[in-house]
Amino acid sequence: MSEEHVQYLKKQKIRKLVIRIIQIGLLIFLFGLWELSAELGWIDPFITSSPSRVVKSIIELTRTGELFKHIGATLWETVVSFLLSTVLGTLIAIVFWWNSLARAVSEPYLVVLNALPKIALGPIIIIWVGAGASAIITMALLISLIITIISMLSGFLSVDKEKIELMRAMGANKWQILVKLVIPYNIPTLLSVLKINVGLSWVGTIMGEYMVSREGIGYLLVYGSQIFKLDLVMASTIMLCILATLMYLIISLIEKLIRKFF
Amino acid sequence: MALLELKNVSHIYHSEQGETEALRDISFSVEREEFVAIVGPSGCGKSTILSLLAGLLKQSSGSILLDGKPIEETPTATSLMPQRDQLFEWRNIKNNVLLGPEIMRNKTPEIIAYADRLLEKYGLIDFAKKKPSELSGGMRQRASLIRTLVTSPELLLLDEPFSALDFQTRINVCDDVSRIIKEEKRTAILVTHDINEAISMSDKIIVLSKRPAHVKRIFNIELDKSLPPIKRREQKSFPIYFKMIWKELEDYDE
Repeated sequence: MSEEHVQYLKKQKIRKLVIRIIQIGLLIFLFGLWELSAELGWIDPFITSSPSRVVKSIIELTRTGELFKHIGATLWETVVSFLLSTVLGTLIAIVFWWNSLARAVSEPYLVVLNALPKIALGPIIIIWVGAGASAIITMALLISLIITIISMLSGFLSVDKEKIELMRAMGANKWQILVKLVIPYNIPTLLSVLKINVGLSWVGTIMGEYMVSREGIGYLLVYGSQIFKLDLVMASTIMLCILATLMYLIISLIEKLIRKFF
Repeated sequence: MALLELKNVSHIYHSEQGETEALRDISFSVEREEFVAIVGPSGCGKSTILSLLAGLLKQSSGSILLDGKPIEETPTATSLMPQRDQLFEWRNIKNNVLLGPEIMRNKTPEIIAYADRLLEKYGLIDFAKKKPSELSGGMRQRASLIRTLVTSPELLLLDEPFSALDFQTRINVCDDVSRIIKEEKRTAILVTHDINEAISMSDKIIVLSKRPAHVKRIFNIELDKSLPPIKRREQKSFPIYFKMIWKELEDYDE
């Protein structure tokens, strides 16, 4: 390695380090400023809360055991709706790939369902499946299901025609084309759908909790704002940030593992 | 008896815009271990002939006999080498090569051994466990050819397999393919729009007219068969063949 290249690498390393330091510094600065402003009375902590009050609020929730109940409920709803929408959406997309008649018939329905803001279905969902975790899961499922079907189907239909012809010339049947070509070819599509769905499942779950629930982080947010307990609202928001990021990181890790094999 | 016999084959495509006559009254035959090239203006229906032979389409009229039997009765007797290699990126080279036997549920130890032998003989055995993206363009084409050979087909169908390669790779791959097909004693039909490539590789060239394609003329190429394509390009009669075929293609407005 040349001296010049060593210098270049060193420069890059320092640059990355500087970025990381500024990122962390900015976070500390903002929280510090928030705390200080509340402490010195520049802002009213009754409306804005403050980091120390947020921490106190989280400790309080932990002590009563409520924290885990709420986090558990929200996580459960998010994970279930995420898995259901991914699996169900992919299966429906496979049916549409297989049967071009079903695909042609369903097209306008998919367009309408995709355009419809799913939150509008809230009241119907509550009446049909009841006000509870099932309504929340249904809401989250609806939000990500249609887009999963549309993305997976367009991936399935974009497979090289020449590759399909090659397999047909070898005498492959439709099932073999599906398992040996169409599905493995669309692993990258599936990975990007996973990333979209993990975000949408959070949106759906929190929205569902706003509507019906008596537990969960969405419930804490609504409850906190209703009794004007901003400490609770801020604590919930920060916990939500952490949880959503963790789940995204887990999906990224799974993605890395899968990419190793494909 | 000829290995392949096309008699008065016609084909018509149907679409909402109307019907298109692609092939009209095509007749020719291919002998065992012969290398035949089909050339013609682009879009004339050359590839349609291969699709018929590969069993992807059924001719509208006429008959296609392979070894005396209608071709639809012997679906695995032909094997297609597609445009570009179409290797599956998620499979290693060996599993790509064995795709055909896997689909035919015929992945016997003998076939696996045959695949290994071919990979060994044509310099790919060290890459058997590698993914296609780790191979050069020329090596990928060789892998594609081995995939075509491994089912021991009676007839190889080469659909412009070199068109995506750069010029130098293309010349080398032509040599490779020509040598491998000769060594394995195979019969092959090559569809191409490159006259030089056709003359340098084949024993016989079928010139098609523009659409609807019919056979304009069949040339027997009397170049030294023992030479590789690149050497055949240097033979004295090579440019004469080129001129004749060029002329044949030029006045397709008759």
